[in-house]
Amino acid sequence: MTAAGTLNPEASSGISIGYSLGSLAEWLRRITVCIRGPRGTRGSGVIWRDGLIVTNAHVAVSKSHSVDFFDGRRARGKLVGRDPGVDLAAIAVDMSGLPIASIRSARELRAGEVVVAVGNPWDGEGAVSAGILHRAAGRQPVIFADIRLAPGNSGGPLADAQGNVVGVNSAIIGGLGCAVTSDAVKEFLHDAGLLEAV
Amino acid sequence: MSGFLADFSNELANAVERAGASVISVPEGGREGVSGTIWRDGVAITAEHTIRGLDEVDVVLPSGAEVKAAVAGRDYGTDIAVLKVQDAGPGAKLADEAQTRVGEIVLSIGRRREEGLAATYGLISAIGGPWRTHQGARIDRWLRLDLNPFPGFSGGPVVNARGEVLGMATSGPRRSAATIPASTVNRVVDQLLQKGRVARAYLGVGIQPVAFPEGTARTLGIAGDRGLLVVMVEPRGPAAIAGILLGDIIVRVDGAELHGLHGLQGSLDPDKIGQAAAVEVVRGGKLVPVNVVVGERPEK
Repeated sequence: MTAAGTLNPEASSGISIGYSLGSLAEWLRRITVCIRGPRGTRGSGVIWRDGLIVTNAHVAVSKSHSVDFFDGRRARGKLVGRDPGVDLAAIAVDMSGLPIASIRSARELRAGEVVVAVGNPWDGEGAVSAGILHRAAGRQPVIFADIRLAPGNSGGPLADAQGNVVGVNSAIIGGLGCAVTSDAVKEFLHDAGLLEAV
Repeated sequence: MSGFLADFSNELANAVERAGASVISVPEGGREGVSGTIWRDGVAITAEHTIRGLDEVDVVLPSGAEVKAAVAGRDYGTDIAVLKVQDAGPGAKLADEAQTRVGEIVLSIGRRREEGLAATYGLISAIGGPWRTHQGARIDRWLRLDLNPFPGFSGGPVVNARGEVLGMATSGPRRSAATIPASTVNRVVDQLLQKGRVARAYLGVGIQPVAFPEGTARTLGIAGDRGLLVVMVEPRGPAAIAGILLGDIIVRVDGAELHGLHGLQGSLDPDKIGQAAAVEVVRGGKLVPVNVVVGERPEK
């Protein structure tokens, strides 16, 4: 029975990592919305603060979008800011009391840290994928992750191992996931006059 | 919120950082730069195919310093090139190969001139025995990885979750990542530092597998149904000197029957150089023994 004795700790930590990922995914789903475009296209968004959703400019292509929340509610979203240069857009919804993303600067991330994405690819709403940060954020407004993304992930959150959002998933480049950094989002919101006074 | 995942994440980032202290960038390598691994004090390795034709390369050290490194030797068989570079940083800490298991988490680590360390992660998906590259070099074991190779990963290390080096990463078939295990790297680096190249045993024949007519193999007491037809004999090569003729069919070397081209390469390890090999050929319907003194393959 010594073999079982030595195997047990590993088995239990495996379960715990799975459990941790599960609860992390559950939290990220609550701050992720599904944004429907005019031609039935589907993208994702992050509830950045009460009543304000951040997504990609290439997802928010019209003045008004249908926004689905984790709890099944649906609202009309109004485009309040858009910058195709950094591929970001902001959508306002007339709702309050929403769970809000906790934000961490992407510049603090180290290469190799676990990152988790939630989004709405064609074959799964609230789909979760996990990977690692490919390399630390440089001066660029984007970060790269070794993670499997699909088109519906666009606009959805890329979060660290503790559920803090570090970026907005925007593209797949050379097999790597590419996300606009949380720092670039802050700058974008500031420039659009949408950043709350701290 | 999730302690285990946060710990796991920290461990991975620590492994990248720890191993990264021995990873250099070789900006001239490949199309957009490759990586290298500081193997020992003053000695680094990189993927030979990415710096072909260069005697000296610029490297970016873990400290960020850019220096020149001389190419001290290269072996296209194992795809290892040795670079001499002073004060590069600490040599790679090697993993205990005996402890390596299928399912272990591994990281492929590279360095880019501008952006610094880069990594992808995956698993050891299978471990196999010794294998030969297309160039005939013996690799001590097969490490199959389930891992996404990224631009510039070649020459960098494949490490375990503790950041200990399992081998050098290079491109495998079908855009996969192949690993040259640390024991093979050690062997090749030793030879390259001593001689500047890796000796390869050589008979000086061109061969092609052929099937025997039905019954012939049985009559001659050969278990297999194929031999290696000699279609070229290098003038003054080891086989020519020993009297091997065009049209001979090689069936055994040192008593072992050959199965295909790899079988012949397998019977010709470098330690055979200078020694007589007992070659048996089929000539005129009869088995004929020929003693060939194994030579060393001339440089390309």
